[in-house]
Amino acid sequence: MVSGLLLTPILQHIVLAYTALFVSIALGIPLAILALYSRPLQKIVMTLANLMQAVPTLAVVAIVVPLIGIGFWPAIVAIILRALLPIIKNTWIGLSSVDPVLIASAEGIGLSEWEIIRYVRLPNAYPAIFAGVKFAAILANSVAILTAMIGSGGLGSLVFEGLAGVNMMKMLSGALPAIGIALFLDASFSWMERRLLPRSGQSGLE
Amino acid sequence: MTLKRPFDRIETIDIHGVRKRFGETVAVDGISLDIRGGELLILIGGSGSGKTTTLRMINRLIDPDEGTIAINGIDTQTIDGIVLRKNIGYVIQQIGLFPHMTIRENIGLLPTIEGWSREEIDSRVAELLILVHLPPDQFMDRYPKELSGGQQQRVGLARALVMNPPLLLMDEPFGALDPLLRRQLQDEFIGIKEDIGKTIVFVTHDINEAFRLGDRIAIMHEGQIVQLGTPRDLILNPADKMVSDLVGSDRLFGHIASLTVSDMMVPASPIISGEMEVQSAIGVMVQSGSKIAVVRNRASSFSVLLLSTLLQMRDEVKTVLEATDPPFFLSMDASLLSALEEMKAASVSLGLVMKDGEPAGLLLPDDLITRLV
Repeated sequence: MVSGLLLTPILQHIVLAYTALFVSIALGIPLAILALYSRPLQKIVMTLANLMQAVPTLAVVAIVVPLIGIGFWPAIVAIILRALLPIIKNTWIGLSSVDPVLIASAEGIGLSEWEIIRYVRLPNAYPAIFAGVKFAAILANSVAILTAMIGSGGLGSLVFEGLAGVNMMKMLSGALPAIGIALFLDASFSWMERRLLPRSGQSGLE
Repeated sequence: MTLKRPFDRIETIDIHGVRKRFGETVAVDGISLDIRGGELLILIGGSGSGKTTTLRMINRLIDPDEGTIAINGIDTQTIDGIVLRKNIGYVIQQIGLFPHMTIRENIGLLPTIEGWSREEIDSRVAELLILVHLPPDQFMDRYPKELSGGQQQRVGLARALVMNPPLLLMDEPFGALDPLLRRQLQDEFIGIKEDIGKTIVFVTHDINEAFRLGDRIAIMHEGQIVQLGTPRDLILNPADKMVSDLVGSDRLFGHIASLTVSDMMVPASPIISGEMEVQSAIGVMVQSGSKIAVVRNRASSFSVLLLSTLLQMRDEVKTVLEATDPPFFLSMDASLLSALEEMKAASVSLGLVMKDGEPAGLLLPDDLITRLV
């Protein structure tokens, strides 16, 4: 019976967190690639990333309301604002910290800029990108709790209602699945990382 | 997608009045250089001499500020840099194999981009690994980090050759290897070079490497070419003190001074009769693998015969005697240095060493220099 009641908030929570996460990935990685070739863009992105890291999550959620109101989509925007920047920042760091010798040799054998990104920079950046996405996923999950305050629904509603009504049971029924989802996210990304990342014979990956 | 090939073979590379500066530093200060198809040209000099910049201007990794570089008469500025570089092999000292790719993937990267099939790539990779003396079944699926430095450099060479480029640019490829391994890879490379018959521009700072590998050597200093010539030219006629210090003329001559002709002569064989038929003489020489034969005329007179001359004159002469050159006689115990000086003065490139009225050996200054260094 309880599980039936929980199903809707759990689904809402997952849709909320994952939609925001995938939009963040879809925006973040191309933006990071662009930042590699545009110094002004790189400056803006990095400044924003550092700035957003300093703003408390609650403030991020709050600031969305006067700008675009409340409900599901504003909640998505709030989550993206929080999740986008670790992805961009990690991707950019991963792409730009490739050993210059590899870039020089790639240019020397005649790879184009795009081929260098595709075959050299991106594969070398995968571990950093994965770390960024994993971090963003955990962030999205926790922000998706807070966005219940601005009407996103989901597990956060249970937590806040439980807190307000001093209903320990209700609060835990929101918090525990959220913890479960966080653990699941972490485990699934670690699994994907092991599956997708080539064994380069150089680190503890194998 | 097939690769547009701007050239399938190299006739000439004309570097003309090329200048390049980086900020206030003049890296290359107006050099002109003609590279001939099929030769291995060495660019040698200290750091900052402009040798690497010159090399990198050939495949347009760097564009010159002034001057032109033309391959087979086509100005490289009119060829897209990416297309140009895909058609030119490139090997650097740091190798730059991609750590996330297997050896197969590293060598097969350009073919993959060009859309070759998996089978085509595998067979090409295997072929190249054999060429560089790495058993394909052992190395194909390993990662660069699992290979030693020397093995990695061989893979680097294989990768550079994968599209069968007519031109190979090599920037101190053996520079990071220990002396023994370097020597071994040079020896292997000499063999590979014969097999692949490509035009090669090779940057080094090691004069011994230059002498061992180079057909011609361009000595660079402060962005200019100080002297261009064969190893023999450089040792015997250094343009200035800098060159003679670099090539170690003093050291070499000091060494030579203690030698006699007999120390450095090569066996005189085959010895053939002057009446021999042209065809059979060619046969004998080819059989013995010798480009020079000693011809015994009647009694005790001798002359020398070059295979190349004989081949040229095969239709005009009946007996080999007519194709021979008069010999330049040397005695066994003459000082090598004075023998070389006499030969230079007479401008002959072959000396016949006699002992007790019989040919004892040949002295070949060109060959000698490569043996001395």
